[in-house]
Amino acid sequence: MATNCYVTFPTIFYAIRAESLLKQKDFTFKMVPVPRSISSSCGTALRCACPDLSKIRQYLADHQTEMEGLYQLEEDGFKMPIVKELQSDELQ
Amino acid sequence: MNCNKDSVNHELNLYFDNSATSWPKPEAVYRAAELQMRQMCGNPGRSGHTRMLEADRLIYRTREALAALFKVDDPSRIIFALNATDALNIALKGFLKTGDHVIFTALEHNSVLRPLGTMRRNGLITTTMLPCSLEGYPDLEFLENAYQPQTSLLVINHASNVIGTVAPLRKMIESAHKKGVKVLVDAAQTAGTIDIDIADLDIDLLAFTGHKSLLGPTGTGGLYVKVGIDLKPLREGGTGSHSEIDLHPESMPERLEAGTLNSAGLAGLLEGINFIRETGLDQIREHETALRRSLREQLMEMRQITVYGPEEAAECAGSLSFTIRDTDCGEIGYILENNFGILCRTGLHCAPLAHQAFGTFPGGTIRLSPGFFTKAGDIQFLINAIREIVALTEKG
Ligand SMILES: Cc1ncc(COP(=O)(O)O)c(C=O)c1O
Repeated sequence: MATNCYVTFPTIFYAIRAESLLKQKDFTFKMVPVPRSISSSCGTALRCACPDLSKIRQYLADHQTEMEGLYQLEEDGFKMPIVKELQSDELQ
Repeated sequence: MNCNKDSVNHELNLYFDNSATSWPKPEAVYRAAELQMRQMCGNPGRSGHTRMLEADRLIYRTREALAALFKVDDPSRIIFALNATDALNIALKGFLKTGDHVIFTALEHNSVLRPLGTMRRNGLITTTMLPCSLEGYPDLEFLENAYQPQTSLLVINHASNVIGTVAPLRKMIESAHKKGVKVLVDAAQTAGTIDIDIADLDIDLLAFTGHKSLLGPTGTGGLYVKVGIDLKPLREGGTGSHSEIDLHPESMPERLEAGTLNSAGLAGLLEGINFIRETGLDQIREHETALRRSLREQLMEMRQITVYGPEEAAECAGSLSFTIRDTDCGEIGYILENNFGILCRTGLHCAPLAHQAFGTFPGGTIRLSPGFFTKAGDIQFLINAIREIVALTEKG
């Protein structure tokens, strides 16, 4: 079992912009295909450790990067994960 | 031009047609375009696998490099198009609404004149041509009186592709904005040789092409669209996002970019921009201005020759036009190529109204456009060739 958080984007432009901005700072994250259990306009999502999500979201919001959704997934191998959609105001 | 190996000896050619397309390109441009095709798949934005992500990253970097070059802080406002013509069509047809009035300068290229002409003939818009002086400067007093209540757009060719005159952008933009009129700048001849600060000049729309002074491959170009301006997309289709709905996305840049982008071309364009950044725009401008000054001075020494455009080279970019008394420009161009291996462009250069303003319609001019890779020695060779031709025409 592992818990991961995901950020989805409206378009690939914003996915790549997010990657490019975060790479210039010391954020830990990975760009991945959007998990099948969540729906997104753009096929590429950002995966990070859940405690980092709030900082990452704030940094992107401060740097003209549109996001679509925030998710927390309980992942267990090939089983369907348990998905929780997060609202930005729920993040500390 | 037939580029068959046997028919063209590139080593022997002296290229003076950089206003049409720049040649040669920096080595890195050729390599990057090839590498992009060899190593990365060509369909950016369509799936999450790593090769495609690489293509997406490259396109993002190219957009970012253009944004930096033009001092635009949000790269999503730069959209890619096939060339300047395509970008100008996207801007004009996406911006103008039925009943609008448009002012354009006499220096505009057919890529502006024809879309506007079609819309005017179809009864959608009305237009006013802003006349210009013999030296290619738009009549600013005329402009002040040309605005109408329905005027929505002023179109300005940043530099004449016939005689090189650079338009007084700042004054013209300030004038238009005072009347609430937006400005579309055609930077086909200037992007990559003249510093264009979009934010400082407060430009609304700017079309550029990748294959001229930006030193990239053909099939690249784009449009800057200021925040707050929404253009109706000319094309709709696949963008890689929102695939489940038959509604084209609202989000820029995808809103104005349907279909697979020219990633190989854009890889080359990125290297063209990098070359410009590393060399320095000032350095490029200085070199081209010095070449132009020397070319103009030496042409002026021949009394049979008329040189068009401003005397001061620093007020110009790109093209220099001349005619030889009592000769046909096409014939001179033919002799330059066939007897001397010099490539230039003769005729009307897709700018018929400009030639009317300069008194060179319909015969046109001989247009010379050196580039950053032109050397002082090339200018000397060219001048000697023209001297010989002039001597021949004297003999009759
Ligand atoms: C002033 C001007 N506008 C537009 C264009 C069109 O550029 P392109 O052929 O790249 O579409 C050109 C060049 O041909 C030009 O000189």
